[in-house]
Amino acid sequence: MPVVTASLASIIFTAGVISGSLGALLGLGGGVFLVPFLNLVLGFPFTAAAAISLTTVIATSSSVSAGRTGKQLINMRLGMLLEVATAGGSFLGGLTAQFVAQSVLQTLFGVVAAVVAVIMLSRLRRRNVILDPGASPGVLGGRYYEEESRTTVTYRVKRLPLAMAASFVAGNVSSLLGIGGGIIKVPILNAWCGIPLRAAAATSAFMIGVTATAGALIYYGRGQLEPALAAVAVLGVQLGSWGGMRFGAAASSKWLKILMAIVLLVVAVMMFVRGGR
Amino acid sequence: MTSGGRQESASERLERAVGVVLRAGVTTSTVCLAVGAAWALATGESGPARVLLQTGILVLLLTPVARVVVSIAQYVSERDWPFATLTTIVLVELLASAVAALVFNKRL
Repeated sequence: MPVVTASLASIIFTAGVISGSLGALLGLGGGVFLVPFLNLVLGFPFTAAAAISLTTVIATSSSVSAGRTGKQLINMRLGMLLEVATAGGSFLGGLTAQFVAQSVLQTLFGVVAAVVAVIMLSRLRRRNVILDPGASPGVLGGRYYEEESRTTVTYRVKRLPLAMAASFVAGNVSSLLGIGGGIIKVPILNAWCGIPLRAAAATSAFMIGVTATAGALIYYGRGQLEPALAAVAVLGVQLGSWGGMRFGAAASSKWLKILMAIVLLVVAVMMFVRGGR
Repeated sequence: MTSGGRQESASERLERAVGVVLRAGVTTSTVCLAVGAAWALATGESGPARVLLQTGILVLLLTPVARVVVSIAQYVSERDWPFATLTTIVLVELLASAVAALVFNKRL
């Protein structure tokens, strides 16, 4: 574990601000940027990087979801059901991370970063589900008021087993690699399970707090979480995501997505190189 | 729906309770972490700074757990047994992680 100094703390704080704001602008958690920075640039052990990143995921999930309650945008019933799968996956991932070599985690991170980059590029033009306003949402579906279009959006959940499987995998990857896992769940929930993008993103952001906690507790117990460094990372990410959400609406996200996809592909290659040694 | 204010639905009550828990957890942990980090930077990682940082991290980790506990209580009070059961399973999974953490820490 690295020695905590004022300069290291300020570097990590800055990294937190950048990943938090990028995360908010791109609609992902910042973990996918923070973990490679801590591991590849600062040379932290992969597990220490993942542990710090998971605490920032929890903080982001809690503060973003707290601000969204009362709008019916978070589908709590669906979220609680899918959490059964994500928390289980995350628990197993946290255990697995303790027993596999760092090179395996790096290679896996490389794969996930490449997949995330491809997903990001393939979703430059977001598509939304076509909705029948008269439909009944059923037990798990939802209904919320969309301010821009001034309509009430109603949706039903389709292909629940697929949603559960995606959540399990997302939870597993989350605590193995220290990322939120929303990037895996949200496109699947949106494209195949009938959930509008906004509701899928809000529900995923709500769930990842529980997902990341199941993993972070294990890292914490193992002594892989340095509180002082986690603290500055959390504060940085909180500030960054607040700024990103406040000023992000004005920014065009298309070029940003392309840029970040390129960054992620570079990260993927670096992780492959390190992992392959 | 009457002019006197309509009855809050079960899902609205749940959202409100969850919102209160999350907000309280985030505020408490952020304050502890900010003060603890500033203190540690100013005086080195002294006793009080360490306690604040540890408290901040623990409150952060326990906030989602508290949110799950509150949800269980809400579902039970609504007699929504299927969801009370599902949410309890989530809590058990979180407790399994906590137990694993204690085992790794050789406290068990």
